[in-house]
Amino acid sequence: MLKAKEASYCEQEVNVPLMVQKKDSKSDSLNTETLRHFWLVEDMMTFENIGFSHTVDGRKFLVCADCERGPVGYHELSTKRCYLSLKRVVHVDA
Amino acid sequence: MAKTYDYLFKLLLIGDSGVGKTCILFRFSEDAFNTTFISTIGIDFKIRTIELDNKKIKLQIWDTAGQERFRTITTAYYRGAMGIMLVYDITQEKSFENIKNWIRNIEENAAADVEKMLLGNKCELNDKRQVSKERGEQLAIEYGIKFMETSAKASINVEEAFLTLASDIKAKTEKRMEANNPPKGGHQLKLTEIRTKDSWLSRCSLL
Repeated sequence: MLKAKEASYCEQEVNVPLMVQKKDSKSDSLNTETLRHFWLVEDMMTFENIGFSHTVDGRKFLVCADCERGPVGYHELSTKRCYLSLKRVVHVDA
Repeated sequence: MAKTYDYLFKLLLIGDSGVGKTCILFRFSEDAFNTTFISTIGIDFKIRTIELDNKKIKLQIWDTAGQERFRTITTAYYRGAMGIMLVYDITQEKSFENIKNWIRNIEENAAADVEKMLLGNKCELNDKRQVSKERGEQLAIEYGIKFMETSAKASINVEEAFLTLASDIKAKTEKRMEANNPPKGGHQLKLTEIRTKDSWLSRCSLL
């Protein structure tokens, strides 16, 4: 049920931290991890189903449109590109 | 890269606070697995893909993000909107009465030809009902728009409502495209003339 669109994406290696896992403490500091492997999606409309969070520091986080689990990646407002983390989604043959 | 869809429609959800707009579009974040991070920053919009008559349609659906609490929604939010879901809560008379205010707000801010639809939400709460289905239907007739009772909670008619609105926008878009590219030998419709007059009057926000 995830939105991976078989071919059209190119794989891009981007080194970006600040991908948040489950929150456990109430402190301001976010729990982050560094993710390196992303699907680069040039046009957000390429997604079948996806949710966008409100903007935080020039980025919108991507979430599953159904269960709203996330972030599964992020959208960069300056470049309009979306980066979907390989690690955060399940790849299934259509 | 080739476009993977035929149409792209921007839709808005409008209505009083608490009528369940957010529930229509978003699930509430009660789920145990939902990270606090996402529910804290909130969701801005969603992209949904539907298919109608073998055409792939992308819906970009926006919630008002609480702007409606100020009783008005800015022009910026309406920009580019092709469809609007007007939502009231069948258990709240006030939210139904306010629909006409929202329609006025739309007329002042949105494109004149924006497609509208009226939704009476929370229809699963029949025992608390304050607005009869007939009154909803009547109001919709008055404004010449479609009407449905929905329940975001029980997933009644929500998808149908979006499909209906999308289908109406599609029909309108195709009609316009046809008018702009008339079949050979066809009579050229003076669509621009009509439309200018239309949007001219109802779009001036100073009036």
